[in-house]
Amino acid sequence: MIPSSVSIEEIFLLAAALFVVLAIMMFYRAVAGPTTQDRLLAVNVLGTNTVVILALLAAGLDEPWFLDVALIYALLNFLMAVAISKFTVERGGVL
Amino acid sequence: MIEAARFWAIVVLVVAGLFFTFVSAVGVIRLPDIYARAHTASQTDTLGAGLALAAVALALGWQQASVYTVLLLFFVFITNPTAAHAIARSAAETGIEPVTADSAADGDTREPSTASTDRNSSDDDGGSDVDGGETA
Amino acid sequence: MVADRTLVPLSETVTVRQTVGYAVQSGLEDADSLEVHLVVALPYDAEVPEGKQQVEEAKQLLSKARRWVTEDAGSADVTVETAVLGTERYLFGPRDYADIFEEYTDDHDLDRVVLDPEYHPGVTSSILQPLEHELESAGIPYDEAAVERPARHERLVGEGTERFDRYFALFWISFGFYLVLGDPTYWFDLVTGVAVAGIVSFSLANVTFSFPLHRIGSPVRTIRFAFYVPYLIWEIVKANVAISFVILRPSMPIEPVVTRVNARVRSGLPLLALANSITLTPGTLTVRANDQRLIVHTLIPSAREDLFDGALERAVRFVFHGRTSARIPSPRERGDAEIVGGDEL
Repeated sequence: MIPSSVSIEEIFLLAAALFVVLAIMMFYRAVAGPTTQDRLLAVNVLGTNTVVILALLAAGLDEPWFLDVALIYALLNFLMAVAISKFTVERGGVL
Repeated sequence: MIEAARFWAIVVLVVAGLFFTFVSAVGVIRLPDIYARAHTASQTDTLGAGLALAAVALALGWQQASVYTVLLLFFVFITNPTAAHAIARSAAETGIEPVTADSAADGDTREPSTASTDRNSSDDDGGSDVDGGETA
Repeated sequence: MVADRTLVPLSETVTVRQTVGYAVQSGLEDADSLEVHLVVALPYDAEVPEGKQQVEEAKQLLSKARRWVTEDAGSADVTVETAVLGTERYLFGPRDYADIFEEYTDDHDLDRVVLDPEYHPGVTSSILQPLEHELESAGIPYDEAAVERPARHERLVGEGTERFDRYFALFWISFGFYLVLGDPTYWFDLVTGVAVAGIVSFSLANVTFSFPLHRIGSPVRTIRFAFYVPYLIWEIVKANVAISFVILRPSMPIEPVVTRVNARVRSGLPLLALANSITLTPGTLTVRANDQRLIVHTLIPSAREDLFDGALERAVRFVFHGRTSARIPSPRERGDAEIVGGDEL
């Protein structure tokens, strides 16, 4: 049976909040990471987390257009990771 | 009845997704070098994102938006390993040496300070700047 | 005092300048002085009028290349010889080119051949790979110049039907994608979708499919790929659970090891699928993929065992080549898997 005290939207919002906490945990690596690639990896994982948070908010707030934002964010996240890792190798070269 | 099953399925999926993302976050903080962290980063990309997005798709039901969710998941599955590979490869090309089993046999980062000093004494300084500097 | 003697066959390509530079640089690396033989092999008979023009063009190219060599050599001791080959012979296939280069290297006692990756004599399509094969069987050491390609040389493979297949496939793929994002029941989306899909397929079909499509094979592959996805997800779940146990244990018993696996899948899309699947599975991470040689970083022993058992490789072979070719020995059994040090990266 469904507990009457919580709605499914609240569960999604709670989950989004917990994902934010996890993202802040990963942020430690983005700040501390000794090499550029460590930071880049952490930011990439943060980006995936953001995509998930956006999707959870879309369900929790019933705003389906958030998923469009999530899709574009996933695209840009990928481009960011590839572009920066390419840049770190051929420093000063054309991306 | 169906509604209750759906409710609990969503709760289980969200909790499982949170669990794997949590493990991934712990791994990204704990693991000793960039290559090892990339393994655990793919946990967020696969099961963490996958289960959470599956929960969203289940909640939205059969409509346009849940097709978006599947598309989003598909996209994450294609792009993230490519990005992880690009990052690992750029780490390899900038000359970051991986901490391998024989070079780190003595310290599995349980004791961060001793592990790093051991490694510094046995390796040349190429390995020292790779060291994670564990504080977790 | 060792002299390096190099043969560089030239043709008018975008990478010819870099090839000459590479030949000079690599030749001077392991020798004090260098003798570069620049040759242009002509596919035409010199007697016909076009032949005369070809010879003229070849001579111009050679004099340009001679200047490049002196530019690149700087103060080093470099001798340049130029020649136009094939003026009294009709060159046709890669075999003929290999023969004429072999003759030339024998006559002038040359050590090696530096090939332009875009080498493209005459009007025939690229003959680099068969030419390399022929040179190999003739026992001439050759070297493919390491160049950055400013522009990809587009092969116009295939006649009408094959090009049509590409446009057709890409049109429906992009149209379907457009309708997934839009509303398939709204006339405006249908009209704009047709327009967008038409533009996309006409401008990008040759970029998207760098290989010829097969009318039966390609859809069958797509269906087999649909079977592959659940299997991959199952592998990912198993690996995720295994990695989670390791990371959450306070002692964290990781055993990071760099391995090399020679995958028996074709370069291009199959290799991409395999390398991405390996990376997607926690515990194994593809660091490099040079041709079939994958450098894989593994985190825990069980993931390494799975990698060496080659289950994913078999599944990828199933997707691209069918059930029968999936039954191959595992990388461990055929000796294609080994543990290498971190220096291999």
